[in-house]
Amino acid sequence: MILKVVTRNLQKHPFLNLIKVIGLSLALSGIVFIVLFLKSELSYDKYFKNAERIYRYSITDSGFFGGRHFARIINPVYIPDLKEAISEIENFVRLRPVRGGLMKYGDRYYGVNQAFECDSTFFQVFDAEILVGDKNSVLENPASMVVTESFARKVFGDSNPVGEILTIPPGQYYGQAQDFTIQGIIKDFPSNSHFHPDFLATPVQDQLRTGWAWTYLLLTKNASPENVKAGIANFFKNNTESDSNEIKTQFHLQKLTDIHLNSHKLREIEPNGYLRNIYVLAIAAIILLLIAISNFANLSLGMSGFSSKYLFVNKILGSSKHSVLNYFFIEGLFIVLATILLVLLISFPVNSIIYRVYGLNLLSNNLLLLFLIFLIFSVVTLLFGLMPVLRSVFLSIRNEIQKNTSSVLNNGKISRTLIVFQYGFSIALIIAVIVITKQTKYALNSSLGVKEDNVICLESVHASLQQKFGVLKEELLKYNSFESVSAMMEPPGGEANDMFAFEMEGYQSDKENEEFDGIGVFPCDYSFATIFNLQFLSGQNFSEKNTDVEGSGEYIINEAAMFRLHYSNPDDIVGKEFKLIFSTLGSGIEIPGGKIIGVVKDFHLKSLKSIVEPLVLFKREKLWLINFVISYKPGLQEQALNDINTVWNSLFPGYPFQYEHVGAMYKKVYKSELLQARLLSVFTIIALFICSMGLFGMALITTQRRIKEIGVRKVNGARVAEIITLLNKDYVLWVALAFIIASPVAWVAMNKWLENFAYKTSLSWWIFAVAGILAMSIALLTVSIQSWKAAARNPVEALRYE
Amino acid sequence: MIKLRNIDRYFDSKFQRTFVLKGVDLDVEQGEFVSIMGPSGAGKSTLLNIIGLLDEPNAGEYYLLGDPAFQLKEKKKVQYHRSHIGFIFQAFHLIDELNVYENIETPLIYRNVKTKERKALVADLLDRFNMVAKKDLFPSQLSGGQQQLVAVARAIVGNPKLLLADEPTGNLHSEQGEMIMKLLKKLNEEGMTIIQVTHNEAFANYGSRIVKLVDGLIQEDYQVKK
Repeated sequence: MILKVVTRNLQKHPFLNLIKVIGLSLALSGIVFIVLFLKSELSYDKYFKNAERIYRYSITDSGFFGGRHFARIINPVYIPDLKEAISEIENFVRLRPVRGGLMKYGDRYYGVNQAFECDSTFFQVFDAEILVGDKNSVLENPASMVVTESFARKVFGDSNPVGEILTIPPGQYYGQAQDFTIQGIIKDFPSNSHFHPDFLATPVQDQLRTGWAWTYLLLTKNASPENVKAGIANFFKNNTESDSNEIKTQFHLQKLTDIHLNSHKLREIEPNGYLRNIYVLAIAAIILLLIAISNFANLSLGMSGFSSKYLFVNKILGSSKHSVLNYFFIEGLFIVLATILLVLLISFPVNSIIYRVYGLNLLSNNLLLLFLIFLIFSVVTLLFGLMPVLRSVFLSIRNEIQKNTSSVLNNGKISRTLIVFQYGFSIALIIAVIVITKQTKYALNSSLGVKEDNVICLESVHASLQQKFGVLKEELLKYNSFESVSAMMEPPGGEANDMFAFEMEGYQSDKENEEFDGIGVFPCDYSFATIFNLQFLSGQNFSEKNTDVEGSGEYIINEAAMFRLHYSNPDDIVGKEFKLIFSTLGSGIEIPGGKIIGVVKDFHLKSLKSIVEPLVLFKREKLWLINFVISYKPGLQEQALNDINTVWNSLFPGYPFQYEHVGAMYKKVYKSELLQARLLSVFTIIALFICSMGLFGMALITTQRRIKEIGVRKVNGARVAEIITLLNKDYVLWVALAFIIASPVAWVAMNKWLENFAYKTSLSWWIFAVAGILAMSIALLTVSIQSWKAAARNPVEALRYE
Repeated sequence: MIKLRNIDRYFDSKFQRTFVLKGVDLDVEQGEFVSIMGPSGAGKSTLLNIIGLLDEPNAGEYYLLGDPAFQLKEKKKVQYHRSHIGFIFQAFHLIDELNVYENIETPLIYRNVKTKERKALVADLLDRFNMVAKKDLFPSQLSGGQQQLVAVARAIVGNPKLLLADEPTGNLHSEQGEMIMKLLKKLNEEGMTIIQVTHNEAFANYGSRIVKLVDGLIQEDYQVKK
């Protein structure tokens, strides 16, 4: 019977109940996706059987790149000996990146996103799932290769790739072509893996002795990484000829499962996530939950008056407290079930959008977790949502008996607190969204070439094309759709990590730099400053040729480098003699000495999170100019792209033409911030929506309750405007109170967030004003609809009864 | 059956105590039909509520069916409501969400009567009150007289020993009121103890005894002359 009454009662107030359900569903959907995303972030690399025992090995040395911490190590020739020397190291694998970005099959080239040359021990360390071939033997021989399913499909279509030969074409990094025989196929690495190579191959010769490689050590069970580190230090002491006390190298072991969230070294395989984002999202989820529940509680509280007569009559007929509980429980259960149903309906399309945009299939394989989230949400909602209702219902039944009229519930205090609470959170969220968006926009606009929005980049072009940069430039500039063509060592958003020693007239090393006094360098084409509109503080741009004779070399430095070289006035340093020294012996590379000819304002090649390092720009011809950048005349994008295509196909037939807008490349750098901003905006909209719905419901209930009062006031001469003011006054006060509470909290939180950036926007007062005004207007708009309706009513209607 | 001794019921406000009932003594025997009369604010409804265990006296003793009702626990009170006391109100107080049949059925559900038996009992009453055709209608679809008829049916369906009626005819016009009073009289003749509160002299005379209450005190208490 309760069931019957509940359903009929729900039908009697379809709008209010719909508000409840929609509010809860939006929040629950948000929570579901946050939790699933967090699970994916926190589960990185855990699927490897040995994950708990795998450590990535890295070193830092104050004499090596100024002590910068790289994720990979150079010349890892000694790693096998290390394994022999230290018993706690069970196995190792070195991953050396395959460079050049192209593989040749037959006479066609295929782009490669990521690939490694590795030791034959790969599968003993990482138990990746293999589809074709035997794990133990597939990489046994040199020049063996395993490809992923998707890469195999890309190159070979449906035909069987095993036994086929793929070739690394000769290029900058590879003197001659290298052939690999495909021995097996592995499954694509899952999205929660910190690397996603297209293929793995054992080197043709013993290339793993030199160059850079990410190095992973598999420790024995119960081994302590501290011991292993000590063991490595010992190993170095015994095997280095130099005085053993002189070793300043520090050794680091990072747990595999910590890499994704806790490793922010240089040259990571892929950009990693941030623990901070996890916190932000978790807090957002909790806020959503609290807002949704308080909203539900508030509406239930308001609506409990509707069923008070039913409960009163039932009491007279002999129902117990128990059945009152039952009634509200079943009513709540209905709402919660409807919510879950709606969430399921929302989830599938949302999931497919996320899958399309971010390649994350969050719903798959998470049935149990999903069920758990629903269960916890239901219990928490029922519990918290019903608590205040029950309290007031038991009170009101007593009222009812004494007054014997439909009761006036005095739930003002609880409702008020809940609404202040909801609006407080919403205002804080609005502030957060504005600040994050503002900072991201600022960061993007300060990045190289983003503001102009007419620069495209051909990233890491193949070495044989790099040689022909001059020709390409010449050809392109024949078309009038282009403004400028340049080339540079690092792509926009990349890290300029290289440091060379230098000589400069009148310069003396600081104490801290005595051992290795290097300065950041950046080889580029002479038009680099032009294409990116670098601002000259003093001096002038490069002359329009890329080669200079010894003695007339040209260097442009940035502001940071000027301070690094002990000058504070740009005019003073221009004209000073300067020379970079390339120290690798036998390379035959000489950088012509000459003068500092210009000082430019600091520009942001890298993310604004790090401080701009001292940088010396110098020109090179045919060397180190790995990334081409091309700017076209504004509005001529389509024509320019056509023209490049024409030139490209005539100059480099066979090579794929791949480009990206510089803006898009920087968006990748700030991917995490952009994602954060987008998610938070969605949550803010949801939160505001829930709050307004709740407020709307509350207003509906309150005005119904005050109908008689309004009637009496009107009969006594109150005008509509006065009634509206009377009804709205409370809400304005509540939102104002919420604003006063939320603002300082948001201020502190956002200051903390901005600390992640070396360069940041200010927390201006207008951000807070906008948030407050926005929340206030939404609240007023919502409430005024009800207030106006109530105020405009004919008072006779309200007073007819009694 | 009902024994009230020295019942006080008052409300404390800041500076003074307002008595609604003061020193009320009342005995009602099985089978009586008592009409409580008096001006507004005399404490009639409060007295009825105390008798019906909906309100508690601040002082005094109340014995219901020989049990000390002023000491009853909440759970025990529920038992009394379920099996011994039926209520009728001026405002009918039907459950708006239930139809006629379900409204009458409700008390039986609380008494854990089996479905089959419930059906029989409700069908009996519907038949007796000529409401079979209206059993699927909701309270809002009925006239006042019909609603009160349903309320009476609901009050007596569990065959209570005591029927309490708080101005059962207050919201009805005279013809409907008369019908309800005739019904109550008939129920009384069948053996049910009834206490009603009323303003209406004529309707009070349907009962066997009249108690006049003024300002919380019993002023008159006499048998109705037949």
